[in-house]
Amino acid sequence: MKSRVISLYSAMLNTHYGLSAGKYYYIKKKQRLWEPLVIVASMGWLLVLAVWFAWMLTEQLFLGGLAFGQPHLALISGTLIVSVLGLFFGFFNVLSTFYFSNDLSILLAWPLRSWEILLAKLGVIVTGQYILNALFLLPIGIRYGLLARVGVGYVVSAFVVFLVLPVIPLVIASALSVVLMRLVNLSRYRDKLTLIGGILLLVIVFGGTYWLQQNVGTDDPSVLLEQLLSQADGLVKAVGRVFPPSVWAAQAMAYAHTSQGWINLLYLVASSALGLIVLYVLGEKVFLQGVIAGLEGSRGGKRRKKVVLEHVERGAFLTLLSTERKLFVRDPNFALNGLIGYVLLPVMALLPLFGQNLEGNPFEQLNFGEMDPLLVMGGISLFFMVMIAMSMIPSTTFSREGRYLWIVRTLPLSIGQIIRPRVAAAQVVNTVGCVLGLLPLSYLFGWGVLEVGFGIVFGLLLSSVVAYLLVILDLSRPMLNWINPIKAVKSNFNSIVGMFGTMVIAFLLGALFFLNARTATLWLIPLELLLVTGILGGLAWFLTRNVAPKLWAKI
Amino acid sequence: MIRLQGVSKRYKGASTYAVRDLDLEVRPGEIFGFLGPNGAGKTTTIKMIVGLLKADQGKVLVNGHDLTLDPIAAKRSMGYVPDKPDLYPRLTGLEYLNLIGDVYGVDGPTRSKRLAHYLEMFQLTEAVGDLIQSFSRGMQQKLALTGALLHAPALFILDEPMVGLDPKSSHLFKEIMREHVKQGNTVFFSTHVLEVAEQLCNRVGIIKQGELIACGTMEELRTGRDRDGSSLEKLFLELTDEGGSYEE
Repeated sequence: MKSRVISLYSAMLNTHYGLSAGKYYYIKKKQRLWEPLVIVASMGWLLVLAVWFAWMLTEQLFLGGLAFGQPHLALISGTLIVSVLGLFFGFFNVLSTFYFSNDLSILLAWPLRSWEILLAKLGVIVTGQYILNALFLLPIGIRYGLLARVGVGYVVSAFVVFLVLPVIPLVIASALSVVLMRLVNLSRYRDKLTLIGGILLLVIVFGGTYWLQQNVGTDDPSVLLEQLLSQADGLVKAVGRVFPPSVWAAQAMAYAHTSQGWINLLYLVASSALGLIVLYVLGEKVFLQGVIAGLEGSRGGKRRKKVVLEHVERGAFLTLLSTERKLFVRDPNFALNGLIGYVLLPVMALLPLFGQNLEGNPFEQLNFGEMDPLLVMGGISLFFMVMIAMSMIPSTTFSREGRYLWIVRTLPLSIGQIIRPRVAAAQVVNTVGCVLGLLPLSYLFGWGVLEVGFGIVFGLLLSSVVAYLLVILDLSRPMLNWINPIKAVKSNFNSIVGMFGTMVIAFLLGALFFLNARTATLWLIPLELLLVTGILGGLAWFLTRNVAPKLWAKI
Repeated sequence: MIRLQGVSKRYKGASTYAVRDLDLEVRPGEIFGFLGPNGAGKTTTIKMIVGLLKADQGKVLVNGHDLTLDPIAAKRSMGYVPDKPDLYPRLTGLEYLNLIGDVYGVDGPTRSKRLAHYLEMFQLTEAVGDLIQSFSRGMQQKLALTGALLHAPALFILDEPMVGLDPKSSHLFKEIMREHVKQGNTVFFSTHVLEVAEQLCNRVGIIKQGELIACGTMEELRTGRDRDGSSLEKLFLELTDEGGSYEE
């Protein structure tokens, strides 16, 4: 008989990744066989590119680092990147998996200890992290191993590092979210606080990382780089201040043939174990209360305000727009994932203003302030377009409704009437987010009102037609059967395809603008923007009239 | 009010029909009970009437509107409450009702009057400002009923409406159904509770394995085909006892 945690973990893994459903459809029923093919075709080349990039980067860093006596630069970079990414994405995953899954009400009724639920859920997230880490760390580890001609000790150490590395970032993310949820669940404004708390935590994490990077010894980046590379293990020490486990991991692998390597491995394993113990304690003491408080809703013991049944009469368009916006913003799973881009961009741009110097600002080095106004305008338009896809609001609009979709489907409205407010709602959020992001950027780079204003107008047009297409994309194959709401956004094939497609359009337009700059034909940019908007708009109009009704009837 | 002509539905990959060659007419001013064992095809039929499923064959006419050709007019004339009324958990009750009111174009004074009436009747007046996720199942059921009644639909369609309602609400709801048909409207509902069907319905239909096996007034069913005025329960068991049921 399997232990309860293993059983629970297997069941959750199965549900999370749709393993049984996949077996049922692809193997038993031999249906939907095109799905894995499409996924492989659309993602495969990206994976190959990522592996190739990691492989080549390792080689460059190895050879470059060798000159300064730090050949294991690639190992440090790799472990640091996967750890930071694990912490960043892990936070959202943890929050949604631990607190907003629909399975919690079932699990709580079973004779399970709180830490057992927590551990099984963490196991599912860690498994996902292994897949991502494998993509990046395996090519780095193998290439480094081949270049450094390592021995068996390296292989053993690398294997242990691979197993342990995701644990600490995810334990930190879990601890942060467990504490955050305990605090916000004490309040009646739970949803709002979850959203604000989540964003604040991320800002703190990134701000802290940035601050540490800015304070590793000097204000001048060129002097800093020289120091890092000239001192023995200078970079190691610098990274160690940001995230020590990634240094332990790198040194455990690089010095696997010495006691120093094994000591570092011991640090890593011991700190991971310690992290798990902390999580166990938090699980026992705090997790369950947070979950129960969340499930209780806001009814218990609350003094109700007298409800006034007055209302403003609105048409279907406005009421659906408002409903779509509310449903998106009120669900922390949707809002945290969709809005984070709008928050991070201005934060990243503004951080240097609070630091010690402006030279450290990565944007500053790109000379955005010197750009031609027409290029600025074009860039802002592309920014609007890319951000609406990144927000995932239009590309998951039907998927997010899940089992509630029956409400809209029984309303006496045509699919056109249903699509339009969804596009508008996405555009409202996108416009607010983009404009708020543009304000600090415009200030930093000294952009003029005219170029920003026209950029916003063109951006609104372009992003609206893209939003239309993304809504229709989601209509064609909505993901309605989910337990964890985060699956409706982050694990949704439509959002990935939507982002990828929009990126391709942005890339092509960007290349065109680049050509315009080279051939002194920048005046063509507004025309090119209008032309692309017209083509995409025509396509959206055609699909809404001719294809969308059939798709709507087919759901 | 509802006319189903040769309606069939077979789910993708299923070897049997969920509903097969169904002919049914529900007239204005009647309460029609749709009965059948689990998996008989009741919910599938209802979903085809309200436009949540598309019939493979046949025609669905609601209030004279073909559901395939003019779904919006058909939907405008009906109010629907599903067996599990999943409502947007992160809207307040009032936000949900106003959404329905706006979409169905219920004007302000009428909306206020009806909301006050139904919310008071279902004792939801105080809770309606809370998020739906904090509602009990029964409260959600009552909110869904209020939403479905808000535009005073000519046809009221309910899938297992009594599930989750307390006795008082259940009693009230039966009164609402009776009142609704008195005004010339129609109620079509599925139920497992045979007593409710016996008390309320002008006519009932019994479906088994996707086929309508009996349809008529209680009197017609009781006395038809060598029956001796037995109860609906006995009649139901008699008609549905053979063969197993299957999942829809």
